[in-house]
Amino acid sequence: MNALERKEHVYLTESILKTLKQNRIITLFDFLQEEAEKLSTLTKLTLPQVLEIRQEIFKKHSAHLINGATLFINSLTCKKYIPTHITSLDEVLGGGIPVGLITEVCGLAGCGKSQLCMQLAINSVKESDDSVLYVDTKGDFSAVRIQKILDANGVSYKDMALIMLKIRVVHIWNMEDLITLLENIKNGILKIEKLSLIIVDSLPCLMLQHFGDENKIGLTFLNRVVNNSRYISKEFQTGFIYVNIQTRWIDQDVSEPEEIESSCTVKDITYNEKRNRCLGKYWQTIPALLLVIEKCSDYDIENNYENCVMIKVIVTRHTNPLLAENCTLKLNALGVT
Amino acid sequence: MSSDFKIYNATELWQIETSLPSIPTFSQNLDKILGNDGIQLGSLTELLGLSGSGKTQLCLQLCASVQIPKILGGLNSEALYVDTNANFTVERFKEILFSSLAKCQEIMGSSILIKEEDALKKFHYVKAFGLENFCAFLYQLPNFLSDKPHIKLIIIDSIAFPFKEGISLKQRTGLLFRLMADLQKIALNKQIAVVLTNEMTTRIGLSTGAIVGSLGDTWSHRCNMRLLLTAPEPLKNLRLAVILKSNVTAERVAKFQITSDGIRDIQ
Repeated sequence: MNALERKEHVYLTESILKTLKQNRIITLFDFLQEEAEKLSTLTKLTLPQVLEIRQEIFKKHSAHLINGATLFINSLTCKKYIPTHITSLDEVLGGGIPVGLITEVCGLAGCGKSQLCMQLAINSVKESDDSVLYVDTKGDFSAVRIQKILDANGVSYKDMALIMLKIRVVHIWNMEDLITLLENIKNGILKIEKLSLIIVDSLPCLMLQHFGDENKIGLTFLNRVVNNSRYISKEFQTGFIYVNIQTRWIDQDVSEPEEIESSCTVKDITYNEKRNRCLGKYWQTIPALLLVIEKCSDYDIENNYENCVMIKVIVTRHTNPLLAENCTLKLNALGVT
Repeated sequence: MSSDFKIYNATELWQIETSLPSIPTFSQNLDKILGNDGIQLGSLTELLGLSGSGKTQLCLQLCASVQIPKILGGLNSEALYVDTNANFTVERFKEILFSSLAKCQEIMGSSILIKEEDALKKFHYVKAFGLENFCAFLYQLPNFLSDKPHIKLIIIDSIAFPFKEGISLKQRTGLLFRLMADLQKIALNKQIAVVLTNEMTTRIGLSTGAIVGSLGDTWSHRCNMRLLLTAPEPLKNLRLAVILKSNVTAERVAKFQITSDGIRDIQ
């Protein structure tokens, strides 16, 4: 809470502030809460003067009003997307990773989530001066892999160093630290020049640490993370990618045969595999853009000399959850293309 | 405040990752598919497989490999073996250790002698039966490691065993992820390789095959490298290793065998 200071209004002289302080009116909030008549007798200011001070404080400290035209112009001039530089993915995404919104990358273990994220990190700094922050919660970021991808693409050692300098990595091991990190970025304590993209790989790794707690503290943390992320992505014009995981569970459908007369009833059991995005109900509607990654299974691991895996990316937007577009990407020594 | 978080750039991390060699498996085929010529320091590697597929054998081999002298490009370090399922026998370890060291000796010539007694002293064994025992040990692991700074390999054989009873499913996931976060934090800071073994379980109805690693789908995300070991023909001494998940290499298959000397290539 802000302290009541001289700069708030010309009427507030040192002696008045001192009197107020002696009467335990220290913060702006105290001043606003106190009865105007009492303040008037304390400060020996007239009642209209006290009310004037109050008006001034309200005006100064309220949220700003922006008119529609300014908003529109702002939206025209600021960047909307961070291009992924993967042609087919950019096409489906309609330009790239959206700025000012939260994007989720989701999939089963080993399907290429981290690989895609590392590629996005490379691509977003490769052709620009921007830098990217990679928040690593399980040690999946591999600088060796980054170097190998760049090397396989024939990038010179000098450019390689330049690109890798712009990829910042921080290791975070619990939710409290993640929140502190985000707050530090928000409050400008932690400054990263030309930050264009923040990738958190992966969020469930931190959230699952609170799985099974009775007190639902995890939900509080998640809420704070979401609020801070939204603020940062809007204020600093960054893209925000959260990696989520998928789990599978199986439904057993027992379909009873029609004819019950037959002596031995054979029950047909069909199993339905269902996939579930982690992080609970609250999170489900948080990301504005959802990329679900699936590994295409139709390749032969024994005769796969190119060591290439095809991954399918299914894109859904929160504006129309029923519309899903997809594209297929190639994952090999050259990275994700 | 910003000093709370060490923000690296990828170049610095690359220097850290490549400053120390990996731990070789003594099978070149296997080393090749693992990417950086063996088990990467600073990351979690999970060995999966049915019983008898060679998980424990590979672990013992790694405990021996970590002792390879620096002249031969090794780490010359120590290993910590956390035994949770009583699969460990010291006789078998001695066999593998001494034949691995004999091989090193052979390459180096007789100029440097490795004493067998000294070699055994570089191996630390912890018997952690039961969940309380296991958690208590992991809790004081940081202190233990600062006493013994030469440890570069931690084996947990197996990670699933302590969680078999005495804990609800939800709490298990929470506890497991907390333990692993703490473990990996130390592993990354001190550049220690962590190798966990895990059992297989059956989940009927999965599209990708009914036999999967235990501890559930959420766990399968946790480790940086997952290696599935199989013995396709039980009577032949042939083992296959498949990379299920890796942050550095593609998914490939390697053949190796288990001899009395330890893990070796098939001739």
